[in-house]
Amino acid sequence: MNLSVKIGKAIFPNPVTVASGTFGHAEKYFNLEEVKKLGAIVPKTVTLMAQEGNPPPRIVETASGMINAIGIENPGADAFIAQKYPMFKKIGVPLIISILGHSDEQFMTLIEKFNAVDGIAAIELNLSCPNLNHKVLVAQDPASTHRLVGKIKRASRYPILAKLSPNVTDISEIAVAAENAGADGLSLINTFTAMAINTKTRRPVLGNLTGGLSGPAIRPIALHMVYKTAQRVKIPIVAMGGIMTTNDALEFLIAGASMVAVGTFNFVNPRAPLEVLEGLQAYMKDNQINDIKELIGSLKK
Amino acid sequence: MEKIQNKFRVVANKKLCPRFYRLSLDAKPLVKSIKPGQFIHIRVKDSLEPFFRRPFSVFRAQKYADIFYEAIGPGTKILADKKKGDELDILGPLGNSFSLPPKGTKTVVMVAGGIGVAPFLIFSDLLKSKGYNLMLLYGARTKGHTFNMKDFKANGCQVFVATDDGSVGTKGRVSNLFSKIPPDHKTTFLYTCGPNPMMAAVQAFAKENNLRGQASCEEVMACALGACLGCSIETTSGYKTVCYDGPVFDLQEVKFH
Repeated sequence: MNLSVKIGKAIFPNPVTVASGTFGHAEKYFNLEEVKKLGAIVPKTVTLMAQEGNPPPRIVETASGMINAIGIENPGADAFIAQKYPMFKKIGVPLIISILGHSDEQFMTLIEKFNAVDGIAAIELNLSCPNLNHKVLVAQDPASTHRLVGKIKRASRYPILAKLSPNVTDISEIAVAAENAGADGLSLINTFTAMAINTKTRRPVLGNLTGGLSGPAIRPIALHMVYKTAQRVKIPIVAMGGIMTTNDALEFLIAGASMVAVGTFNFVNPRAPLEVLEGLQAYMKDNQINDIKELIGSLKK
Repeated sequence: MEKIQNKFRVVANKKLCPRFYRLSLDAKPLVKSIKPGQFIHIRVKDSLEPFFRRPFSVFRAQKYADIFYEAIGPGTKILADKKKGDELDILGPLGNSFSLPPKGTKTVVMVAGGIGVAPFLIFSDLLKSKGYNLMLLYGARTKGHTFNMKDFKANGCQVFVATDDGSVGTKGRVSNLFSKIPPDHKTTFLYTCGPNPMMAAVQAFAKENNLRGQASCEEVMACALGACLGCSIETTSGYKTVCYDGPVFDLQEVKFH
């Protein structure tokens, strides 16, 4: 049975991974022999300088999901490379490094730094970052996405995945812009901008006022966005957005995703990605599917 | 390596007074490994409502692993309906634990408010044989909420109670009992757990009297494994996660809001 998928020149042993920001340094708690089975690991987004994150409260539970406003708390690229990267590398699973720059220059410096690091499978660009005019996010503007992805692709030693925001009218427009700029793949989707209000105090629940909605609540919308995008691009899609079970993962693969990431549900069931992988293998066996490629984009009409 | 995610059976789920429960789990691996101050993360239902697991300090770990909780929100209300024989999906033990009092300590004072008493019974189980004078200052709503005090007394704790309505002990806040604390910074060590305003009062009292101590904090949690960074609180050295860096912090380190 062949489960391997290719994004650019990167080869992943199977299509199951974790969404950025949901794996953290929890590897300390997992049975590493089990984690080694994953197709890829995506550590939390790294920025150029250390970020202390947003003031608490940072999370709120919602119907079938959560809103988070963590604020990309991370030690910065140099500390990540020196202290955290070796630990992730030791696991032996392909690593997709998620990066975010607050300007084109920061992105370019980040790429330089990670070009100097050996053994990365791919770089994921978190494009939910401020644009030059600070009016919209890069991922909300096709021209900005094209400009930034193009620049980074030309400079990067590693395959580039563009992670797109669902907070747009037509995500496939942005996806096409990223593909035309040379992206090797796409990650769909980031979180939906959302908020919650404490009605006793009439104040926002989150310290940051707004945050990003994730979890199974957004899954059917994510599925449609992946489906729509897969109709328009040829590059592989890594899908995330409320995936919890094998059936969820199958939906995204059939809709056209090449890889699937469990995100928020890791917080409820840390073994979920492994259960998805086991279930996927069982499904392929039961349906006599020998290669995962037979499944990807196999939606019947 | 010990497995961190397990299914354990409920042995008992006893209502102790309106809304307050003590749930016992047949959880030998937990009983063996848990340290006072650590917590477990319970999935109260195999469904999406409520979405998060719920964290609980372990109250006692002898034959069974016990938690003490108030059925106040959607998660704890579901927990209150659990019956003997029901199975619960549990992550744990999680977080750090109380440190033993520093050398030279003679009196250990635990200051707790409401459900914040939870981590202190298991801690007094550990400390009772170590030769300290154990003292518990407990702030509760009414006399009906002080039923756990007999367990502390059985461990040799001197117990002082303050109730909101004065139905037992001193009327008013637990801070009315601070005069019971021997103010010698060389021989007294404090531990506190409860609502933030109460812990802030303990912190201020400790600072005034140059006393050292530890605080066990609570925050809404998603992963409880240090991954999501959702339960961060402000400390003198920046944001720290309650689940992974805590729940136990140096008393003067936490910025209570």
